[in-house]
Amino acid sequence: MPARDAILGRIRAALADDPPLQKPPVPEVWPREDPPPDEMAERFARELEAIGGEMIRLASLEEAAAKLAELADAAGWRKIAAVDRPLCRQVAASLGDGRVDWSAEAADPNEMASLDAGLVEADYLLADTGTAMIACGTPRERLLCYLPPVSVIVAETGRLVEHMPAVWGEVAGRCAEPDLRGEFVFITGPSRTADIEKILILGVHGPKRLVVLLVD
Amino acid sequence: MAQDISHSAGAPFWKSDTAGLYEPHGSRSLGESAERSTKHNQELIAQIPQWQEWRSNANRIKAYALSNLDKLLVEFERNVTARGATVLWAENAQEANRLVLDIAREHRVKTVVKSKSMVSEEMELNHAFEAAGIRPVETDLGEYLVQLAGQRPVHIVTPALHLSAADVGKLFSEKLAEPFTAEHKALTDIARRHLREDFIRADLGMSGVNFGIADTGTICVIENEGNAGLSTSAPPVHIALMGIEKVIPSIDYLPQFLNVLARSGTGQKLTTYTHLFHGATPGKKLYVIILDNGRTNALADKAARMSLYCIRCGACLNACPVYRRTGGWAYGSVYPGPIGAVLTPHLVGLQQAGTLPFASSLCGACGEVCPVKIDLPHQLVHLRHRAVNEPSPMKSWTERLTWTLWAWAFSSPWRYRMTMRTVKLGVRMAPFLPWHPGKLGAWTRGRELPEVPARSAFRDWWRANGATLERKQQRDSIATQKK
Repeated sequence: MPARDAILGRIRAALADDPPLQKPPVPEVWPREDPPPDEMAERFARELEAIGGEMIRLASLEEAAAKLAELADAAGWRKIAAVDRPLCRQVAASLGDGRVDWSAEAADPNEMASLDAGLVEADYLLADTGTAMIACGTPRERLLCYLPPVSVIVAETGRLVEHMPAVWGEVAGRCAEPDLRGEFVFITGPSRTADIEKILILGVHGPKRLVVLLVD
Repeated sequence: MAQDISHSAGAPFWKSDTAGLYEPHGSRSLGESAERSTKHNQELIAQIPQWQEWRSNANRIKAYALSNLDKLLVEFERNVTARGATVLWAENAQEANRLVLDIAREHRVKTVVKSKSMVSEEMELNHAFEAAGIRPVETDLGEYLVQLAGQRPVHIVTPALHLSAADVGKLFSEKLAEPFTAEHKALTDIARRHLREDFIRADLGMSGVNFGIADTGTICVIENEGNAGLSTSAPPVHIALMGIEKVIPSIDYLPQFLNVLARSGTGQKLTTYTHLFHGATPGKKLYVIILDNGRTNALADKAARMSLYCIRCGACLNACPVYRRTGGWAYGSVYPGPIGAVLTPHLVGLQQAGTLPFASSLCGACGEVCPVKIDLPHQLVHLRHRAVNEPSPMKSWTERLTWTLWAWAFSSPWRYRMTMRTVKLGVRMAPFLPWHPGKLGAWTRGRELPEVPARSAFRDWWRANGATLERKQQRDSIATQKK
């Protein structure tokens, strides 16, 4: 391809007589303190609430299922779409099949537009920033993170880590897998903008409300 | 609403056709918002004891990446292709537009949803789409606002920083037939409602690339609104536009960049969404277009190479007193502010952008805030040096003549006095002249003539009275010593 050759040629010419630089070591960024899970849970809750999200800690999956049903009734959700993973299955148990859409088929954004909430599962929760990492393998799983006005993220306490560097080795390893497709998205609170006069508003195009159900 | 005067090609800040550099109200809005941003971001950064170390780390990684740019781009291409994406290369904006339109034609695209991409602004992609009968919709709220208003963005991170809430309310009532409101939440809801339709119906989604990761073939896009998530996951096709300098060697380095970019750009610990795209999602298509468009010029100029470290945070814009006063349009280029002044001459040439590096007082605020430690002040000086020695508006015969005359006038006290007398006479006569010649016209349009003192010049007064004053001072000091 001529453009490719031309560009690479120009780059090589520009770099021709440069001495080689040493590859920089991977910076530490944040030191590891390894706090206990309860402290991380508290930190996570604080950080998430500071940016407009909600965290609810539950002692068991049954409690989580009850809580989800409570949230659904309180907010009047008629239709929820969920990612078909074991934790989601258990937490959505008391909602009844009529209300939850589990289909794994290719997503039609038109149909999904009328959803009241999306239920997804987090692979990691980052305590220092109130961040949840969702691994989305299919178009439907990706859309579920952004389209519904409410996003419910469920995760077990064991998934809590201090911060991004603490879990990055694992994340990097997964990113290197040749068969990996889809996306990993690190979600830190509900969607927001400050594009008008730098005044912060929550709920733009992504979810307006973000709830994390943390299950022990 | 201010007219779109940002298309003035060449000699920005000087162009005599600019009706006004900014709309006065908009400029106040912009200046205040930029100042508030800097203050807020600096407060957050002050809480990080290792911030300077972070800057050095990021700088070093970028230096390494650029010094291996060809190898990294090839590695990136290989790994992204292995994940089912198609990688294409474009030397310049026209080629890139052609590639995008080819893809759009192949997939029978009628509507495109775009998330923020400064590269697409360089390409003037929206014009190309519209010329081909395709409807481009900017989904980043700030970009959406300037698109509705028919204006250029004023800032690379907050494109509509010059619009007040009332301006936006007026815009929505005029263009979207919505009842007027100046309430921020209501305005955002209006935009959400309108754009939701476009996300759902679009045939193609576009994004930029914040970091192209060579070793894993991952594409990292960061945002806060969710529009990049929707633009890239709802339509069947996603095109990602990437400048050649966005590639970094390894995913191991990403946390460092994410931490500096969020804090410098938007005063956050992390942006709301950090996307890591692993190639094409099954059932969807992903194209990555790698664009040069003059970046290799910056690479070839060794002293200027560090300007390619830029991660587009916008901190230098917010900190710059010139930018705060004049706004983004005055620069007449896609990238305004200090980084704009430093990059644009490489992207479009000195002939067109040679004046930009001169629009600065070299206060150094930009260099202090840059998260990747680009030495912006020295970049400005370096480009000034080039501009006066290479073909550019700063090397025009009028420039050279002016400075030659100035050097002559200031090379001896007699010549200086003669010149000052002539200038005094000229200023007194100027109001009576029927016209102002050439460039002088533009120069004088925004300036008042200085007042000439009615009394004699200080030098003349000193010559008449200075000796007496000195003798008096000597007598007084002797008197004081005797006491």
